[in-house]
Amino acid sequence: MKVVTGVVGNDIHVVANRLIDLSLRARGFEVFNLGVNTYLEEFFDAAVETGAEILLISSLNGEAEGWGREVKLLKAKYKDLDNLIMMIGGNLVVGSGSAEDIVPKYKNYGFDLVCHQVDLNTGLDSLEEFIQQRNKK
Amino acid sequence: MSQQDNTLLIDVGSTYFKVSNQDSIEQYFRDFNKDILDDLLHRCGDTIQSFDKDDVYICSSANGGLNTLIIGVSNTYSLKYATNIAFNSGINIIDTILYQNIEEYSVPSDLVDVVIIVGGIDSCTGMFTDNLYSYLAKLSYSNIVFVGSEQDAPIIKEKISNLVILPNVIDNKLHIVEDYLKEYLTNLYQQDIEGKEDIKNLYDITANRIYPTPYIVNKALPEIDARYSVVNPFILLDIGGATTDIHYSKDLVDENIVTKNEFDRLVFKKLGVFKSKQSLIFTAKNNEFVYELLMHLKVTENIFNEQSQKATKILMQLAIFLVLCKISHYKKAYINLKLLTINSFVLTGGITKVLTKEEIENIIAFFYKKILTSGHRPVVVLDSNYDIWTLGLKGD
Ligand code: B12
Repeated sequence: MKVVTGVVGNDIHVVANRLIDLSLRARGFEVFNLGVNTYLEEFFDAAVETGAEILLISSLNGEAEGWGREVKLLKAKYKDLDNLIMMIGGNLVVGSGSAEDIVPKYKNYGFDLVCHQVDLNTGLDSLEEFIQQRNKK
Repeated sequence: MSQQDNTLLIDVGSTYFKVSNQDSIEQYFRDFNKDILDDLLHRCGDTIQSFDKDDVYICSSANGGLNTLIIGVSNTYSLKYATNIAFNSGINIIDTILYQNIEEYSVPSDLVDVVIIVGGIDSCTGMFTDNLYSYLAKLSYSNIVFVGSEQDAPIIKEKISNLVILPNVIDNKLHIVEDYLKEYLTNLYQQDIEGKEDIKNLYDITANRIYPTPYIVNKALPEIDARYSVVNPFILLDIGGATTDIHYSKDLVDENIVTKNEFDRLVFKKLGVFKSKQSLIFTAKNNEFVYELLMHLKVTENIFNEQSQKATKILMQLAIFLVLCKISHYKKAYINLKLLTINSFVLTGGITKVLTKEEIENIIAFFYKKILTSGHRPVVVLDSNYDIWTLGLKGD
Protein backbone atom coordinates (compact mmCIF):
# COMPACT_ATOMS: atom_id res chain seq x y z
CA MET A 1 0.00 0.00 0.00
CA LYS A 2 1.06 3.56 -0.64
CA VAL A 3 1.67 5.93 2.26
CA VAL A 4 2.42 9.64 2.12
CA THR A 5 4.27 10.83 5.22
CA GLY A 6 6.05 13.92 6.51
CA VAL A 7 6.30 16.40 9.35
CA VAL A 8 3.66 19.10 9.29
CA GLY A 9 4.14 22.88 9.25
CA ASN A 10 7.39 24.58 10.15
CA ASP A 11 8.52 21.63 12.21
CA ILE A 12 12.09 20.52 11.51
CA HIS A 13 12.44 17.53 13.88
CA VAL A 14 13.68 14.99 11.40
CA VAL A 15 14.71 11.94 13.41
CA ALA A 16 11.28 10.40 13.84
CA ASN A 17 10.54 11.05 10.18
CA ARG A 18 13.55 8.96 9.11
CA LEU A 19 12.53 6.15 11.45
CA ILE A 20 8.96 6.23 10.20
CA ASP A 21 10.18 5.96 6.62
CA LEU A 22 12.36 2.93 7.43
CA SER A 23 9.75 1.18 9.57
CA LEU A 24 7.01 1.59 6.99
CA ARG A 25 9.25 0.17 4.26
CA ALA A 26 10.22 -2.74 6.50
CA ARG A 27 6.52 -3.48 6.85
CA GLY A 28 6.09 -3.55 3.09
CA PHE A 29 4.51 -0.15 2.50
CA GLU A 30 5.44 1.98 -0.50
CA VAL A 31 6.52 5.27 1.09
CA PHE A 32 6.39 8.82 -0.25
CA ASN A 33 8.27 10.82 2.31
CA LEU A 34 7.78 14.57 2.00
CA GLY A 35 10.19 15.18 4.90
CA VAL A 36 10.06 18.01 7.41
CA ASN A 37 8.45 21.40 6.79
CA THR A 38 5.47 20.11 4.87
CA TYR A 39 2.23 22.04 4.55
CA LEU A 40 -1.17 20.41 4.64
CA GLU A 41 -1.93 21.15 1.00
CA GLU A 42 1.30 19.39 -0.01
CA PHE A 43 0.24 16.27 1.89
CA PHE A 44 -3.13 16.10 0.19
CA ASP A 45 -1.69 16.96 -3.21
CA ALA A 46 0.89 14.18 -2.81
CA ALA A 47 -1.91 11.76 -1.97
CA VAL A 48 -3.65 12.76 -5.22
CA GLU A 49 -0.52 12.43 -7.38
CA THR A 50 0.56 9.08 -5.92
CA GLY A 51 -2.84 7.51 -5.38
CA ALA A 52 -1.84 6.85 -1.76
CA GLU A 53 -4.31 5.09 0.52
CA ILE A 54 -2.74 6.37 3.75
CA LEU A 55 -1.61 9.77 4.98
CA LEU A 56 0.66 9.61 8.04
CA ILE A 57 1.48 12.99 9.48
CA SER A 58 3.87 13.56 12.33
CA SER A 59 4.33 16.61 14.46
CA LEU A 60 6.88 17.07 17.23
CA ASN A 61 7.22 20.72 18.09
CA GLY A 62 3.66 21.43 19.16
CA GLU A 63 2.31 22.89 15.91
CA ALA A 64 -0.13 20.06 15.23
CA GLU A 65 -3.01 21.68 17.03
CA GLY A 66 -3.17 24.65 14.71
CA TRP A 67 -2.94 22.55 11.56
CA GLY A 68 -5.36 19.96 12.88
CA ARG A 69 -8.14 22.51 12.92
CA GLU A 70 -7.70 23.16 9.19
CA VAL A 71 -7.74 19.55 8.05
CA LYS A 72 -11.48 19.13 7.51
CA LEU A 73 -11.92 22.36 5.64
CA LEU A 74 -9.02 21.71 3.30
CA LYS A 75 -9.77 18.04 2.72
CA ALA A 76 -13.33 18.92 1.77
CA LYS A 77 -11.95 20.73 -1.27
CA TYR A 78 -10.61 17.47 -2.68
CA LYS A 79 -13.05 15.31 -4.57
CA ASP A 80 -11.25 11.96 -4.45
CA LEU A 81 -9.81 11.65 -0.96
CA ASP A 82 -12.80 10.29 0.90
CA ASN A 83 -11.23 6.87 1.46
CA LEU A 84 -7.84 8.17 2.53
CA ILE A 85 -6.79 6.74 5.91
CA MET A 86 -5.66 9.65 8.04
CA MET A 87 -3.15 9.13 10.86
CA ILE A 88 -1.25 11.55 13.05
CA GLY A 89 1.34 11.06 15.78
CA GLY A 90 4.20 12.61 17.76
CA ASN A 91 3.71 15.38 20.32
CA LEU A 92 0.25 16.58 19.54
CA VAL A 93 -0.02 19.43 22.01
CA VAL A 94 2.19 22.16 23.38
CA GLY A 95 3.52 21.04 26.75
CA SER A 96 1.77 18.09 28.34
CA GLY A 97 -1.70 16.73 27.83
CA SER A 98 -3.51 13.45 28.25
CA ALA A 99 -4.43 11.11 25.45
CA GLU A 100 -8.00 11.01 26.74
CA ASP A 101 -8.48 14.65 25.78
CA ILE A 102 -6.24 14.68 22.77
CA VAL A 103 -7.48 11.63 20.86
CA PRO A 104 -11.16 12.62 20.56
CA LYS A 105 -10.17 16.13 19.57
CA TYR A 106 -8.02 14.94 16.67
CA LYS A 107 -10.63 12.38 15.64
CA ASN A 108 -12.98 15.27 15.39
CA TYR A 109 -10.46 17.05 13.16
CA GLY A 110 -10.82 14.14 10.74
CA PHE A 111 -8.07 11.68 11.75
CA ASP A 112 -8.83 7.96 11.91
CA LEU A 113 -5.81 7.14 14.06
CA VAL A 114 -4.29 9.42 16.68
CA CYS A 115 -1.03 8.51 18.43
CA HIS A 116 -0.01 11.13 20.96
CA GLN A 117 3.42 10.18 22.32
CA VAL A 118 2.88 6.61 21.23
CA ASP A 119 5.91 4.55 20.35
CA LEU A 120 6.23 4.11 16.61
CA ASN A 121 5.93 0.33 16.43
CA THR A 122 2.81 0.31 18.57
CA GLY A 123 1.38 3.01 16.33
CA LEU A 124 2.14 1.12 13.12
CA ASP A 125 0.67 -2.07 14.56
CA SER A 126 -2.57 -0.20 15.13
CA LEU A 127 -2.45 1.09 11.55
CA GLU A 128 -2.15 -2.45 10.19
CA GLU A 129 -5.00 -3.56 12.39
CA PHE A 130 -7.12 -0.66 11.16
CA ILE A 131 -6.44 -1.64 7.56
CA GLN A 132 -7.38 -5.25 8.24
CA GLN A 133 -10.62 -4.24 9.90
CA ARG A 134 -11.48 -2.00 7.04
CA ASN A 135 -10.78 -4.64 4.43
CA LYS A 136 -13.14 -7.02 6.25
CA LYS A 137 -16.00 -4.57 5.89
CA MET B 1 31.08 49.36 -25.54
CA SER B 2 29.73 45.88 -25.34
CA GLN B 3 31.64 43.76 -27.76
CA GLN B 4 35.23 42.99 -28.56
CA ASP B 5 35.00 41.39 -31.95
CA ASN B 6 33.15 42.07 -35.10
CA THR B 7 29.60 40.86 -34.80
CA LEU B 8 26.21 42.50 -35.17
CA LEU B 9 23.55 41.65 -32.63
CA ILE B 10 19.88 42.36 -33.28
CA ASP B 11 16.97 41.99 -30.90
CA VAL B 12 13.50 42.28 -32.39
CA GLY B 13 10.93 43.16 -29.76
CA SER B 14 7.24 43.86 -30.03
CA THR B 15 7.88 47.61 -29.81
CA TYR B 16 11.55 48.31 -30.47
CA PHE B 17 14.43 46.69 -32.12
CA LYS B 18 17.96 47.05 -30.87
CA VAL B 19 21.03 46.82 -33.01
CA SER B 20 24.42 46.49 -31.44
CA ASN B 21 27.87 46.38 -33.00
CA GLN B 22 31.39 46.91 -31.79
CA ASP B 23 31.02 50.66 -31.55
CA SER B 24 27.48 51.40 -30.61
CA ILE B 25 24.11 50.19 -29.57
CA GLU B 26 21.04 51.69 -31.12
CA GLN B 27 17.36 51.36 -30.43
CA TYR B 28 14.58 52.04 -32.93
CA PHE B 29 10.86 52.26 -32.51
CA ARG B 30 9.28 49.78 -34.86
CA ASP B 31 7.22 50.88 -37.80
CA PHE B 32 4.26 48.53 -37.75
CA ASN B 33 3.30 49.32 -41.33
CA LYS B 34 6.47 47.67 -42.49
CA ASP B 35 7.68 44.09 -42.54
CA ILE B 36 10.38 43.64 -39.88
CA LEU B 37 13.16 43.09 -42.37
CA ASP B 38 12.17 46.12 -44.46
CA ASP B 39 11.95 48.20 -41.31
CA LEU B 40 15.40 47.08 -40.18
CA LEU B 41 16.98 47.67 -43.60
CA HIS B 42 15.34 51.06 -43.83
CA ARG B 43 16.78 52.09 -40.44
CA CYS B 44 20.24 50.61 -40.59
CA GLY B 45 20.62 48.86 -43.91
CA ASP B 46 24.16 50.08 -44.41
CA THR B 47 25.32 48.68 -41.11
CA ILE B 48 23.62 45.35 -41.73
CA GLN B 49 24.99 45.03 -45.24
CA SER B 50 28.51 45.64 -43.98
CA PHE B 51 28.40 42.43 -41.92
CA ASP B 52 28.82 38.91 -43.13
CA LYS B 53 25.70 36.75 -42.58
CA ASP B 54 27.73 34.54 -40.26
CA ASP B 55 28.43 37.48 -37.98
CA VAL B 56 24.84 38.57 -37.51
CA TYR B 57 23.01 37.18 -34.46
CA ILE B 58 19.30 37.75 -33.94
CA CYS B 59 16.88 37.05 -31.15
CA SER B 60 13.20 37.91 -31.05
CA SER B 61 10.26 38.18 -28.75
CA ALA B 62 8.24 39.99 -31.38
CA ASN B 63 5.64 37.28 -31.73
CA GLY B 64 4.82 37.53 -28.04
CA GLY B 65 5.66 33.88 -27.54
CA LEU B 66 3.47 30.83 -27.38
CA ASN B 67 0.46 30.38 -25.12
CA THR B 68 -0.22 27.35 -23.07
CA LEU B 69 -3.10 26.02 -21.02
CA ILE B 70 -2.11 23.48 -18.39
CA ILE B 71 -4.46 20.85 -17.00
CA GLY B 72 -3.11 19.07 -13.92
CA VAL B 73 -4.34 17.16 -10.89
CA SER B 74 -2.72 19.13 -8.03
CA ASN B 75 -1.39 22.60 -7.40
CA THR B 76 1.77 21.55 -5.60
CA TYR B 77 3.06 19.01 -8.08
CA SER B 78 1.64 18.63 -11.57
CA LEU B 79 0.48 22.22 -12.12
CA LYS B 80 3.46 23.82 -10.42
CA TYR B 81 6.03 21.66 -12.18
CA ALA B 82 4.53 22.11 -15.63
CA THR B 83 4.16 25.87 -15.04
CA ASN B 84 7.79 26.14 -14.02
CA ILE B 85 8.98 24.25 -17.09
CA ALA B 86 6.74 26.27 -19.42
CA PHE B 87 7.95 29.62 -18.08
CA ASN B 88 11.56 28.51 -18.34
CA SER B 89 10.98 27.47 -21.93
CA GLY B 90 9.83 31.00 -22.76
CA ILE B 91 6.13 30.10 -22.92
CA ASN B 92 3.27 32.26 -21.63
CA ILE B 93 0.61 30.69 -19.50
CA ILE B 94 -2.99 31.60 -20.16
CA ASP B 95 -4.46 29.49 -17.43
CA THR B 96 -3.96 26.47 -15.24
CA ILE B 97 -6.85 24.12 -14.60
CA LEU B 98 -7.11 21.97 -11.52
CA TYR B 99 -8.53 18.86 -13.11
CA GLN B 100 -10.98 17.82 -10.39
CA ASN B 101 -12.83 21.12 -10.96
CA ILE B 102 -12.49 21.23 -14.74
CA GLU B 103 -16.26 21.55 -15.24
CA GLU B 104 -16.23 24.88 -13.44
CA TYR B 105 -13.64 26.52 -15.70
CA SER B 106 -14.58 28.59 -18.68
CA VAL B 107 -13.10 27.68 -22.03
CA PRO B 108 -10.72 30.32 -23.46
CA SER B 109 -12.05 31.63 -26.74
CA ASP B 110 -8.63 32.28 -28.28
CA LEU B 111 -6.64 29.58 -29.96
CA VAL B 112 -4.26 27.91 -27.51
CA ASP B 113 -0.86 27.09 -28.99
CA VAL B 114 -0.19 24.12 -26.76
CA VAL B 115 -2.24 22.25 -24.15
CA ILE B 116 -0.27 20.41 -21.47
CA ILE B 117 -1.95 17.55 -19.59
CA VAL B 118 -0.17 16.33 -16.50
CA GLY B 119 -0.85 14.29 -13.38
CA GLY B 120 0.06 11.20 -11.41
CA ILE B 121 3.27 9.30 -10.91
CA ASP B 122 3.86 6.36 -13.23
CA SER B 123 2.37 3.79 -10.89
CA CYS B 124 -0.95 5.63 -10.87
CA THR B 125 -3.70 5.12 -13.33
CA GLY B 126 -7.12 6.53 -14.10
CA MET B 127 -6.29 10.14 -13.27
CA PHE B 128 -8.47 11.48 -16.08
CA THR B 129 -12.04 10.74 -17.10
CA ASP B 130 -14.52 11.86 -19.75
CA ASN B 131 -14.60 15.35 -18.27
CA LEU B 132 -11.21 15.93 -19.85
CA TYR B 133 -12.42 14.99 -23.31
CA SER B 134 -15.57 17.08 -23.10
CA TYR B 135 -13.51 20.11 -22.07
CA LEU B 136 -10.99 19.57 -24.86
CA ALA B 137 -13.79 19.17 -27.38
CA LYS B 138 -14.80 22.77 -26.67
CA LEU B 139 -11.27 24.15 -26.81
CA SER B 140 -9.36 25.16 -29.90
CA TYR B 141 -5.68 24.35 -29.77
CA SER B 142 -2.79 23.64 -32.11
CA ASN B 143 -0.70 21.19 -30.11
CA ILE B 144 -1.36 18.91 -27.17
CA VAL B 145 1.13 17.06 -25.03
CA PHE B 146 0.74 14.55 -22.19
CA VAL B 147 3.40 14.41 -19.48
CA GLY B 148 1.59 12.49 -16.74
CA SER B 149 1.49 8.84 -15.67
CA GLU B 150 2.89 6.48 -18.32
CA GLN B 151 0.03 4.08 -17.62
CA ASP B 152 -2.56 6.69 -18.52
CA ALA B 153 -0.77 7.77 -21.68
CA PRO B 154 -2.07 5.04 -24.04
CA ILE B 155 -5.63 5.46 -22.73
CA ILE B 156 -5.61 9.19 -23.41
CA LYS B 157 -3.85 8.74 -26.73
CA GLU B 158 -6.76 6.60 -27.89
CA LYS B 159 -9.14 9.53 -27.42
CA ILE B 160 -6.92 12.34 -28.63
CA SER B 161 -5.33 11.49 -31.92
CA ASN B 162 -2.66 14.18 -32.27
CA LEU B 163 -1.49 13.77 -28.66
CA VAL B 164 2.27 13.90 -28.13
CA ILE B 165 3.41 11.67 -25.26
CA LEU B 166 6.54 12.51 -23.31
CA PRO B 167 8.05 11.03 -20.12
CA ASN B 168 6.35 12.06 -16.90
CA VAL B 169 7.43 15.41 -15.38
CA ILE B 170 6.92 13.87 -11.91
CA ASP B 171 9.18 11.01 -10.92
CA ASN B 172 8.46 8.30 -8.35
CA LYS B 173 9.87 10.46 -5.56
CA LEU B 174 7.58 13.30 -6.58
CA HIS B 175 10.55 15.27 -7.94
CA ILE B 176 10.43 17.29 -11.13
CA VAL B 177 11.81 15.94 -14.42
CA GLU B 178 12.23 18.92 -16.70
CA ASP B 179 14.26 17.98 -19.69
CA TYR B 180 11.76 16.33 -22.05
CA LEU B 181 8.94 18.84 -21.74
CA LYS B 182 11.40 21.73 -21.81
CA GLU B 183 12.99 20.50 -25.02
CA TYR B 184 9.58 19.96 -26.61
CA LEU B 185 8.34 23.44 -25.69
CA THR B 186 11.56 25.17 -26.65
CA ASN B 187 11.44 23.50 -30.06
CA LEU B 188 7.82 24.48 -30.48
CA TYR B 189 8.64 28.10 -29.65
CA GLN B 190 11.55 27.97 -32.06
CA GLN B 191 9.39 26.59 -34.83
CA ASP B 192 6.82 29.26 -34.15
CA ILE B 193 9.38 32.03 -34.46
CA GLU B 194 10.83 30.56 -37.59
CA GLY B 195 7.40 29.95 -39.06
CA LYS B 196 6.34 33.59 -38.76
CA GLU B 197 6.59 35.13 -42.21
CA ASP B 198 8.14 38.28 -40.78
CA ILE B 199 10.83 36.46 -38.89
CA LYS B 200 11.57 33.97 -41.67
CA ASN B 201 12.67 36.88 -43.84
CA LEU B 202 15.34 37.72 -41.32
CA TYR B 203 17.26 34.65 -42.43
CA ASP B 204 18.16 36.79 -45.46
CA ILE B 205 20.55 38.67 -43.20
CA THR B 206 21.76 35.99 -40.79
CA ALA B 207 23.19 32.52 -41.15
CA ASN B 208 22.67 31.82 -37.44
CA ARG B 209 19.66 30.43 -35.62
CA ILE B 210 17.16 33.03 -34.36
CA TYR B 211 16.49 32.51 -30.67
CA PRO B 212 13.67 33.62 -28.39
CA THR B 213 14.81 36.61 -26.31
CA PRO B 214 13.87 35.18 -22.89
CA TYR B 215 16.00 32.14 -23.61
CA ILE B 216 18.96 34.41 -24.35
CA VAL B 217 18.46 36.50 -21.22
CA ASN B 218 18.14 33.48 -18.96
CA LYS B 219 21.36 32.07 -20.36
CA ALA B 220 23.26 35.25 -19.56
CA LEU B 221 22.27 35.47 -15.91
CA PRO B 222 24.82 33.13 -14.33
CA GLU B 223 27.54 35.36 -15.79
CA ILE B 224 25.93 38.65 -14.98
CA ASP B 225 28.49 39.55 -12.33
CA ALA B 226 31.12 39.69 -15.07
CA ARG B 227 29.46 42.94 -16.15
CA TYR B 228 27.88 44.38 -13.05
CA SER B 229 28.45 44.33 -9.36
CA VAL B 230 25.25 42.47 -8.74
CA VAL B 231 24.85 40.89 -5.36
CA ASN B 232 22.97 37.61 -5.19
CA PRO B 233 20.13 36.94 -4.80
CA PHE B 234 18.73 39.22 -7.45
CA ILE B 235 15.78 39.58 -9.77
CA LEU B 236 15.83 40.88 -13.28
CA LEU B 237 12.87 42.77 -14.69
CA ASP B 238 12.41 43.09 -18.40
CA ILE B 239 9.42 45.34 -18.89
CA GLY B 240 8.61 45.30 -22.54
CA GLY B 241 5.94 46.67 -24.82
CA ALA B 242 3.72 43.61 -24.58
CA THR B 243 4.85 41.49 -21.63
CA THR B 244 6.93 41.71 -18.51
CA ASP B 245 9.48 39.02 -17.82
CA ILE B 246 10.99 38.35 -14.45
CA HIS B 247 14.05 36.21 -14.02
CA TYR B 248 14.89 35.38 -10.43
CA SER B 249 17.59 33.55 -8.49
CA LYS B 250 16.41 30.22 -7.15
CA ASP B 251 17.54 31.32 -3.66
CA LEU B 252 14.47 33.53 -3.58
CA VAL B 253 11.98 30.71 -3.43
CA ASP B 254 11.36 28.05 -0.82
CA GLU B 255 9.89 25.50 -3.08
CA ASN B 256 9.48 21.81 -3.51
CA ILE B 257 10.89 22.18 -7.02
CA VAL B 258 14.52 21.11 -7.06
CA THR B 259 16.26 21.63 -10.40
CA LYS B 260 19.68 22.40 -11.79
CA ASN B 261 18.62 25.87 -12.90
CA GLU B 262 20.12 28.77 -11.05
CA PHE B 263 17.41 31.05 -12.37
CA ASP B 264 13.75 30.67 -13.10
CA ARG B 265 11.50 32.82 -15.20
CA LEU B 266 8.03 34.16 -14.74
CA VAL B 267 5.98 36.11 -17.29
CA PHE B 268 3.09 38.48 -16.96
CA LYS B 269 1.49 38.40 -20.32
CA LYS B 270 -0.70 41.45 -20.29
CA LEU B 271 1.63 43.84 -18.58
CA GLY B 272 3.52 46.07 -20.95
CA VAL B 273 3.76 49.74 -21.73
CA PHE B 274 2.83 49.84 -25.41
CA LYS B 275 0.97 46.90 -26.89
CA SER B 276 -0.47 45.94 -23.50
CA LYS B 277 -0.90 49.48 -22.26
CA GLN B 278 -4.68 49.25 -21.85
CA SER B 279 -4.52 46.10 -19.74
CA LEU B 280 -1.74 47.64 -17.65
CA ILE B 281 -3.96 50.62 -16.92
CA PHE B 282 -6.84 48.28 -16.14
CA THR B 283 -4.70 46.33 -13.65
CA ALA B 284 -3.50 49.59 -12.15
CA LYS B 285 -7.01 50.92 -11.60
CA ASN B 286 -7.87 47.74 -9.74
CA ASN B 287 -4.94 48.06 -7.37
CA GLU B 288 -5.90 49.80 -4.16
CA PHE B 289 -2.48 51.40 -3.71
CA VAL B 290 -2.16 52.90 -7.15
CA TYR B 291 -3.89 56.18 -6.37
CA GLU B 292 -1.56 56.70 -3.48
CA LEU B 293 1.33 55.92 -5.78
CA LEU B 294 0.11 58.43 -8.37
CA MET B 295 -0.13 61.03 -5.64
CA HIS B 296 3.36 60.14 -4.53
CA LEU B 297 4.50 60.73 -8.11
CA LYS B 298 2.57 64.01 -8.11
CA VAL B 299 0.20 63.18 -10.98
CA THR B 300 -3.49 62.31 -11.26
CA GLU B 301 -5.19 59.49 -13.11
CA ASN B 302 -5.66 61.81 -16.10
CA ILE B 303 -2.13 60.86 -16.96
CA PHE B 304 -3.55 57.58 -18.34
CA ASN B 305 -5.15 59.52 -21.18
CA GLU B 306 -2.04 61.46 -22.05
CA GLN B 307 0.44 60.66 -24.78
CA SER B 308 3.70 62.10 -23.59
CA GLN B 309 7.15 61.20 -22.39
CA LYS B 310 5.90 61.95 -18.89
CA ALA B 311 2.97 59.53 -19.30
CA THR B 312 5.28 56.79 -20.53
CA LYS B 313 7.49 57.32 -17.52
CA ILE B 314 4.57 57.00 -15.15
CA LEU B 315 3.33 53.86 -16.91
CA MET B 316 6.73 52.29 -16.54
CA GLN B 317 6.87 53.19 -12.88
CA LEU B 318 3.41 51.68 -12.45
CA ALA B 319 4.52 48.55 -14.27
CA ILE B 320 7.39 48.07 -11.81
CA PHE B 321 5.04 48.51 -8.88
CA LEU B 322 2.38 46.14 -10.25
CA VAL B 323 4.88 43.44 -11.07
CA LEU B 324 6.30 43.62 -7.56
CA CYS B 325 2.77 43.35 -6.15
CA LYS B 326 2.17 40.28 -8.26
CA ILE B 327 5.18 38.45 -6.86
CA SER B 328 4.62 39.44 -3.26
CA HIS B 329 2.35 37.86 -0.69
CA TYR B 330 -0.09 40.69 -1.44
CA LYS B 331 -1.04 39.15 -4.79
CA LYS B 332 0.58 35.77 -4.99
CA ALA B 333 1.75 34.40 -8.33
CA TYR B 334 2.28 30.66 -8.58
CA ILE B 335 5.42 31.08 -6.51
CA ASN B 336 6.17 33.47 -3.71
CA LEU B 337 9.47 35.31 -3.94
CA LYS B 338 11.24 36.23 -0.74
CA LEU B 339 11.35 39.91 -1.53
CA LEU B 340 12.98 40.91 1.71
CA THR B 341 16.11 38.94 0.88
CA ILE B 342 16.62 40.43 -2.58
CA ASN B 343 19.91 42.26 -2.77
CA SER B 344 19.81 43.59 -6.30
CA PHE B 345 17.17 44.62 -8.79
CA VAL B 346 18.43 44.52 -12.34
CA LEU B 347 16.36 46.25 -15.00
CA THR B 348 16.78 45.74 -18.69
CA GLY B 349 14.84 46.58 -21.83
CA GLY B 350 13.32 49.83 -23.00
CA ILE B 351 12.74 50.97 -19.44
CA THR B 352 16.42 51.73 -18.94
CA LYS B 353 16.18 54.36 -21.68
CA VAL B 354 13.19 56.06 -20.11
CA LEU B 355 13.62 55.99 -16.35
CA THR B 356 16.56 57.08 -14.25
CA LYS B 357 18.01 55.02 -11.45
CA GLU B 358 16.52 57.45 -8.93
CA GLU B 359 13.03 57.18 -10.40
CA ILE B 360 13.21 53.40 -10.16
CA GLU B 361 14.57 53.48 -6.62
CA ASN B 362 11.71 55.76 -5.68
CA ILE B 363 9.12 53.18 -6.78
CA ILE B 364 10.91 50.28 -5.19
CA ALA B 365 11.14 52.16 -1.90
CA PHE B 366 7.42 52.97 -2.12
CA PHE B 367 6.62 49.31 -2.71
CA TYR B 368 8.69 48.03 0.19
CA LYS B 369 7.26 50.61 2.52
CA LYS B 370 3.59 50.29 1.52
CA ILE B 371 3.22 46.61 0.77
CA LEU B 372 5.92 45.01 2.88
CA THR B 373 6.14 47.73 5.56
CA SER B 374 9.88 47.45 5.36
CA GLY B 375 12.80 49.80 4.98
CA HIS B 376 14.69 47.22 2.89
CA ARG B 377 16.39 48.82 -0.13
CA PRO B 378 17.84 46.48 -2.74
CA VAL B 379 20.47 48.00 -5.03
CA VAL B 380 19.14 49.02 -8.44
CA VAL B 381 21.26 48.15 -11.45
CA LEU B 382 20.35 49.45 -14.90
CA ASP B 383 21.41 47.40 -17.89
CA SER B 384 21.32 50.51 -20.07
CA ASN B 385 23.73 49.14 -22.64
CA TYR B 386 21.91 45.85 -23.02
CA ASP B 387 24.98 44.05 -21.78
CA ILE B 388 22.92 41.13 -20.53
CA TRP B 389 21.35 40.52 -23.86
CA THR B 390 24.73 40.90 -25.57
CA LEU B 391 26.25 38.45 -23.12
CA GLY B 392 23.52 35.90 -23.82
CA LEU B 393 23.59 36.19 -27.60
CA LYS B 394 27.36 36.12 -27.72
CA GLY B 395 27.63 33.20 -25.39
CA ASP B 396 25.68 30.98 -27.67
C1 B12 C 1 16.57 17.04 18.95
C2 B12 C 1 15.49 18.05 19.29
C3 B12 C 1 15.51 19.25 18.62
C4 B12 C 1 16.49 19.57 17.51
C5 B12 C 1 15.94 18.96 16.21
C6 B12 C 1 17.02 18.55 15.25
C7 B12 C 1 16.41 17.90 14.05
N1 B12 C 1 16.60 18.49 12.91
O1 B12 C 1 15.75 16.88 14.16
C8 B12 C 1 16.45 21.13 17.49
C9 B12 C 1 17.47 21.64 18.47
C10 B12 C 1 16.66 21.79 16.14
C11 B12 C 1 15.09 21.38 18.07
C12 B12 C 1 14.39 22.55 17.90
C13 B12 C 1 13.20 22.82 18.52
N2 B12 C 1 12.58 22.05 19.43
CO1 B12 C 1 13.09 20.28 19.84
N3 B12 C 1 13.57 18.64 20.55
C14 B12 C 1 14.52 17.78 20.27
C15 B12 C 1 14.45 16.58 21.25
C16 B12 C 1 15.53 16.79 22.29
C17 B12 C 1 14.62 15.22 20.61
C18 B12 C 1 13.74 14.94 19.38
C19 B12 C 1 14.17 13.65 18.72
O2 B12 C 1 14.80 13.65 17.71
N4 B12 C 1 13.83 12.50 19.36
C20 B12 C 1 14.10 11.18 18.86
C21 B12 C 1 12.89 10.70 18.03
C22 B12 C 1 13.14 9.29 17.50
O3 B12 C 1 11.78 10.67 18.88
P1 B12 C 1 10.49 11.56 18.68
O4 B12 C 1 10.78 12.73 17.84
O5 B12 C 1 9.82 11.75 19.94
O6 B12 C 1 9.60 10.56 17.80
C23 B12 C 1 9.16 9.32 18.34
C24 B12 C 1 7.69 9.34 18.67
O7 B12 C 1 7.20 10.64 18.95
C25 B12 C 1 7.05 8.68 17.55
N5 B12 C 1 6.39 9.48 16.50
C26 B12 C 1 6.73 10.62 15.93
N6 B12 C 1 5.87 10.93 14.96
C27 B12 C 1 4.96 9.94 14.92
C28 B12 C 1 3.89 9.74 14.10
C29 B12 C 1 3.09 8.61 14.29
C30 B12 C 1 1.91 8.40 13.43
C31 B12 C 1 3.43 7.67 15.29
C32 B12 C 1 2.61 6.47 15.48
C33 B12 C 1 4.53 7.91 16.09
C34 B12 C 1 5.29 9.02 15.91
O8 B12 C 1 8.01 7.96 16.87
C35 B12 C 1 9.31 8.27 17.27
C36 B12 C 1 9.98 6.99 17.73
O9 B12 C 1 9.22 6.37 18.70
C37 B12 C 1 13.01 16.72 21.82
C38 B12 C 1 12.85 16.28 23.27
C39 B12 C 1 12.77 14.79 23.38
N7 B12 C 1 13.60 14.26 24.22
O10 B12 C 1 11.95 14.17 22.70
C40 B12 C 1 12.76 18.22 21.69
C41 B12 C 1 11.36 18.72 21.50
C42 B12 C 1 10.63 17.86 20.46
N8 B12 C 1 11.57 20.04 20.92
C43 B12 C 1 10.72 20.93 21.38
C44 B12 C 1 10.70 22.30 20.99
C45 B12 C 1 9.68 23.18 21.73
C46 B12 C 1 11.59 22.79 20.05
C47 B12 C 1 11.70 24.24 19.58
C48 B12 C 1 10.39 24.99 19.40
C49 B12 C 1 12.61 24.93 20.59
C50 B12 C 1 12.74 26.40 20.39
N9 B12 C 1 12.09 27.13 21.26
O11 B12 C 1 13.40 26.84 19.46
C51 B12 C 1 12.46 24.09 18.29
C52 B12 C 1 11.49 23.94 17.13
C53 B12 C 1 12.17 23.99 15.79
C54 B12 C 1 11.21 23.69 14.70
N10 B12 C 1 11.02 24.63 13.77
O12 B12 C 1 10.59 22.68 14.67
C55 B12 C 1 9.73 20.34 22.37
C56 B12 C 1 8.32 20.19 21.81
C57 B12 C 1 7.34 20.48 22.91
C58 B12 C 1 5.93 20.34 22.58
N11 B12 C 1 5.49 19.65 21.54
O13 B12 C 1 5.19 20.87 23.34
C59 B12 C 1 10.48 19.01 22.78
C60 B12 C 1 9.53 17.85 23.17
C61 B12 C 1 11.40 19.39 23.97
C62 B12 C 1 10.59 19.74 25.23
N12 B12 C 1 10.37 18.79 26.10
O14 B12 C 1 10.20 20.87 25.36
N13 B12 C 1 14.67 20.31 18.82
